[in-house]
Amino acid sequence: MSARLADKPQSPATLTPVDDATDLVEWYYEHGYSDGLPVVPPTEAKIDAMVAALGGDPEHLETRVPPRWGGLTRRVLAINLVMAGCKPEYAPIVRAAMLALCEPAFNLNGVQATTHMASPLLVVNGPLAKEVGMNGGCNAFGSGNRANATIGRAIRLVMLNVGGAWPGDLDKSTLGSPAKYTYAVCENEAQSPFAPYHVEKGFKAEDSTVFVIAAEPIHSVVNHVANDPQGILDSMVSAMSTFAHNNAVMAGHCTVVIGLEHAITIAKHGWKRADIRNYLWSNAKIRFGDIAFDHRYGKVYNRNLPVWYKRDLESRIPIVPSADNIHLFVMGGEAGRFSAFIPGWGSMSSPVLREIDRPGVKGSAKREPICVDGTCYL
Amino acid sequence: MPTVYDPRGQVGAEAKAVSARVKSLDGLRLGVLDNTKWNANKLLREVRDQLKGAHKFGAVNYYRKEAFSRFADPQLIEQIRAENDVVVTAIGD
Repeated sequence: MSARLADKPQSPATLTPVDDATDLVEWYYEHGYSDGLPVVPPTEAKIDAMVAALGGDPEHLETRVPPRWGGLTRRVLAINLVMAGCKPEYAPIVRAAMLALCEPAFNLNGVQATTHMASPLLVVNGPLAKEVGMNGGCNAFGSGNRANATIGRAIRLVMLNVGGAWPGDLDKSTLGSPAKYTYAVCENEAQSPFAPYHVEKGFKAEDSTVFVIAAEPIHSVVNHVANDPQGILDSMVSAMSTFAHNNAVMAGHCTVVIGLEHAITIAKHGWKRADIRNYLWSNAKIRFGDIAFDHRYGKVYNRNLPVWYKRDLESRIPIVPSADNIHLFVMGGEAGRFSAFIPGWGSMSSPVLREIDRPGVKGSAKREPICVDGTCYL
Repeated sequence: MPTVYDPRGQVGAEAKAVSARVKSLDGLRLGVLDNTKWNANKLLREVRDQLKGAHKFGAVNYYRKEAFSRFADPQLIEQIRAENDVVVTAIGD
């Protein structure tokens, strides 16, 4: 166990004077409080501005972050926000994301520690995404946008520093993923031909929300040929219908990102969000014998899949148990016939959608997963 | 003089004592908790069978978690506590 896990932090979080000659960026590296990139050294003024954006009261405990279960006070959150390079106006988004991630149904404890490469994906909906300058358009998942980059980075720094999931200590991921640096986007609501995701889930368009899901990295879905929904979505079906991703062997939830050009083509034919999800769910199937390797290594029941799946070798089983377990977003720039499939981690984690609280704007609404007999629905 | 900050937050953990070790397994109730990982049941059934062959337990009970990555249901933990004197668990990836 490393010293950063074993040491007890001081209270309140904490100031230690250091020599004038100290290289502050190197100091945070030396203490292991980094994601591998240089952090912005916090100052009292920057921390105060972040705490104010969170509503003041620096010792207010927002949540505890597993698997270390460190206390995320507003001051501790503010320190990590500054280190990530966030502006104060991003702070309510990161807080809402952390509250969503720390809902028991999300099982952040498992997501942080798993040998799988899952990382929480954050998707922001509503006017706040635009207000703070998040990018859901050209290169949405890529580099170059401060809000996307530092909001996702702040979440990761909190998961590392407060949650203790430093690689090799409590994060046991076999391969990891670039999404473990930052994984935050917003939906391209301004150009999407469909209702926004959070409206489909019962929020008002003027509400701002965070959606979090334990996710693999994005997988490109190309189709430059089809001019109708079936053709485009059959490419998505192809990407979904492999037996190597975690949804195939452990069910759960997944994310589908329809690129803007594809979305416009699909919408011209009158298809709505539910039509897309239902089409994908009813066609994205795999042969049970494939995930059981035709029992070549012994008869496998697979207790992680729903009991109602037929387990005959020739049975065609769905990628996720319901069309509601496909979370659909429209993103991307105006040019390019690309979409993306983002497999989830499996039934061990349920995604969470919640409204973003802001000082003076109390959004208490959230869509907690409803769990019945071990199965969770958003 | 510049200042540096600890970004970790405090842990509110309480130290808990380890249970007293048993001197003999004979007559005790053995619980086995399967965490549902791919090979956990194979490992734990073998452990159970070997222990059964080597000791005279008062009872041998086998339990399963709902999902390997989630905490065991508190009711299940309580049931295991009530029905057993010693418990074995393991993962099998």
